Amino acid sequence: MLARVQRLLAQLELYLLGALFLTMLGVAFYQVIARNVFGGGLLWGDELVRNAVLWVTMLGATSAAGANSHICIDIVARFAGQGARHVIGRFTSFFTSIVCLTLGWYSIGVLYGDYVYQTPGFGPIPAWICELIIPTAAFVMGLRYLMRTLKPEIT
Amino acid sequence: MIWMGIITVVVVALLGAPLFAVVLAAAMLGFLATDVNLSVVAIEIYRITDTPLLVALPLFTFAGYVMAEAKTSERLMALTRALFGWMPAGLAIVGFVACALFTALTGASGVTIVALGALLLPMLKEAGYSEKYGLGLVTTSGSLGLLIVPSVPLILYGIVAQQLDVGEPFTIQQLFLAGLLPVVLMVSALAAWTMWRHGDANRTSFNARKVWTSLTQAKWEVALPFVVLGGVYSGVFAISEAAALTALYVMVIEVFVYREVAVAKIPTIIRDAMVMVGSIILILGCALAFTNFLIDTEVPQRLFEVIQERISSRVMFLILLNVLLLLLGALLDIFSAIVIMVPLILPVAIGYGIHPLHLGIIFLANLQIGYFTPPIGMNLFIASYRFNRPVLDLYAACLPFMVVLLIALLLITYIPALSLWFL
Repeated sequence: MLARVQRLLAQLELYLLGALFLTMLGVAFYQVIARNVFGGGLLWGDELVRNAVLWVTMLGATSAAGANSHICIDIVARFAGQGARHVIGRFTSFFTSIVCLTLGWYSIGVLYGDYVYQTPGFGPIPAWICELIIPTAAFVMGLRYLMRTLKPEIT
Repeated sequence: MIWMGIITVVVVALLGAPLFAVVLAAAMLGFLATDVNLSVVAIEIYRITDTPLLVALPLFTFAGYVMAEAKTSERLMALTRALFGWMPAGLAIVGFVACALFTALTGASGVTIVALGALLLPMLKEAGYSEKYGLGLVTTSGSLGLLIVPSVPLILYGIVAQQLDVGEPFTIQQLFLAGLLPVVLMVSALAAWTMWRHGDANRTSFNARKVWTSLTQAKWEVALPFVVLGGVYSGVFAISEAAALTALYVMVIEVFVYREVAVAKIPTIIRDAMVMVGSIILILGCALAFTNFLIDTEVPQRLFEVIQERISSRVMFLILLNVLLLLLGALLDIFSAIVIMVPLILPVAIGYGIHPLHLGIIFLANLQIGYFTPPIGMNLFIASYRFNRPVLDLYAACLPFMVVLLIALLLITYIPALSLWFL
């Protein structure tokens, strides 16, 4: 059951990332052509691209959390034995999950504030929708690292 | 209490916790200690969207991943071999030039060693170079192109330095110009040393037809550096615009013209590239929060005062900087090193009268060597894994290359004009 949910989530990430990235690429390319050939571009195309960078970043980061491939200093892991590596892995995963969950919690506060005050984001899209990815990714990463704390072999 | 926190953060960092979490925890601790609401951290991460240049990172990285998936490395080798293979120590020069270009295009993620190393190593042996020399060349050249357009670490340095807004302002274009002579110096130094030691190795004869064949085979890819370099250096395109053109162009030629990358493979390539970019930009976002805390509490300024009390001369500061960066380059990956250390070091360096462009070049030239500094430089392990050799063999193989590059590094550090000639 858990394995199926994880597979589905990974699949969702794959296609969401692909769609977002290609949209970002398409709009960025259109802006270049429009600016240099027609002397203008989409009114909020640049904002769209910049927000897409945030979304692609956060989705990439959750995928990295799933594959346990976040950038880290691996000096100890490289020279420690199998058993020690296991214990250290649980400890650092626990630490990471706490940090991620804390970030998730506080970013909900920011999101809620922008929702209540209807802060504008770009074009017709309000700010809270742009920010939605931060708590989402933070919680997904937090849960993934929490699971790794409990069961290191699950990714 | 706060010291307990700091010690915990340092310990988990050394134990191998993801660096974004380490930096984020440090920022949170800092804000807690100064009674700032932690939601500021989320706001700082959202500031990723305030940086228009940042889009260049995912786009260039994607282009690099697509090229690594296609047979670009083989065409690049064939072309450089036809162009330089006839010179004394020609094949070694082919290796340096091809590796540098490929690293610039794909980022220094170790893919150069994997993709080009496997082609180069047997060729070098066949031409009469020793196994040790060949291993040294492919391991050390895996990070040689960090200073060439469109190297992602160089763009990242520009972004971080511009965010800090200290010292003289500069453009990314100027940063790329600044890297030009230092790269030429490094490649020439390596070539000169190789000619002196291994000048008697086999050469191929120059064959205009071979040049023509390899050129026509690689024509779509050969056009790319001209468009990107020409467009960026002449100021026609901003770097983010060049990135969009490059990404789309590379995808189209590798999928539809060369047909070496299947359309169905694109989502996976995007995911793999974005896992790497996501980890980097997330660290950057967390570091924005941390940097903000540092600046609020005037840490860089105090750091400068402390350092200046002990070190009065600029030369002494530069020597210490070199040592520190070499250590860091071996310990941290290049992206984290830039994102975490530049906000601390740049203000101090400016206090010693060092130009931000020059500092960027020193920074990257050091980190480039750090990639294969024993005992833990990343290239050593990639090469050890790829070529199935003990890491100790690679330490020995890399040593002479390291000496040559260190000499080049000293010249780059102490002759600012090499980086600043165009100002």
